[in-house]
Amino acid sequence: MPHLAALLRVARRLTPEPASAEDLVQETMLLAWRGFRGFQTGTNARAWLFRIMFNVFHGQARRELRVPDLPSRGVRPMLQEAAEIAEALGALSLEQRTVLLLCVVEGFTCREAAGILDLPMGTVMSRLSRARQELRESLAPMAKEAYR
Amino acid sequence: MTDDELDQRVRASILSEELDTSRVAAAVRSQIQTQRRHVRGWAVAAAALIAMVLAAGFSYRTFRREQTPQLCVAAAQDHEREIVNGEPRQWLSDLTAIQSLGAKQGVPASAIAALGTTGYSLERGRLCFLKKQIYLHLVYVKDGTEYSVFLRPLTNEAPFGHSVREVSVGAEDSAYFQTTRLTAVFVAGHSHAAAAFARAGARVLQGLPS
Repeated sequence: MPHLAALLRVARRLTPEPASAEDLVQETMLLAWRGFRGFQTGTNARAWLFRIMFNVFHGQARRELRVPDLPSRGVRPMLQEAAEIAEALGALSLEQRTVLLLCVVEGFTCREAAGILDLPMGTVMSRLSRARQELRESLAPMAKEAYR
Repeated sequence: MTDDELDQRVRASILSEELDTSRVAAAVRSQIQTQRRHVRGWAVAAAALIAMVLAAGFSYRTFRREQTPQLCVAAAQDHEREIVNGEPRQWLSDLTAIQSLGAKQGVPASAIAALGTTGYSLERGRLCFLKKQIYLHLVYVKDGTEYSVFLRPLTNEAPFGHSVREVSVGAEDSAYFQTTRLTAVFVAGHSHAAAAFARAGARVLQGLPS
């Protein structure tokens, strides 16, 4: 099943529990299967899948009247470096974290991320910039600690 | 730390995580299979329903074609032979004799008399066979046009309704209906002429006591 890992990787940082992330990805894949006729051949299937996932995610959040803005407890990094990054990433707002995951980790361009999230490209760029800045500030003390 | 260095650290850290997608993949496959079975079940049910509706429609059309139009075809052919072409037949022209002949076949005398009150004049009558059944064939005249009326008591044939239905059979116009006691077929050479007489006839025949 293509792009499942990428979807799950991002979903685990959107939802508070690993089970919720799996449910989100499962629903995304089922919606994609049902609506496959709506997919335009030759366009970016990965971006299309992410767009579906974010639609489902925001729909769920609206229904539950909350947006999980807390660091994901579902991610259990094995290394110290990974733990620090996960903590710093979890401290970001959901909007900043989402943009950072799409652009930095999944390699989407700002234009593609804007299409997935249905946002103006300027908003994506400014969120990405702020996310990097906050992440840099969060990681700096840890780096100092490490070099001491 | 530059943007590129930061991005690289974040990317390397997150992509190094182990992800188990097997559970999600299995769940998605299972759901897709369930939904396919569901859709297949509905498709089979829908196809069966459509087939039943088509079969019912076909049966009804066949039934209608067998019962009523064939009778009209036979009546129109009889009218053409005996009235239009004037093939020699023995006719009764006396009202009492015609009523007596009809009564023997189960056609009430009052029905023949009632048809005479519609503005059409009874000219002659005889018995004939339509679709292997005996009908009282009456010839009425109005404004120089001859009309055939075929009457038969209602027996066990399939009913085709009390409303007047009109069909064209070749050059002839035919109309038919049933009362609680009679099957009646009207034929004339003019378009809608038979239907006009049939509607007038239906009003008086359906008003007769059963």
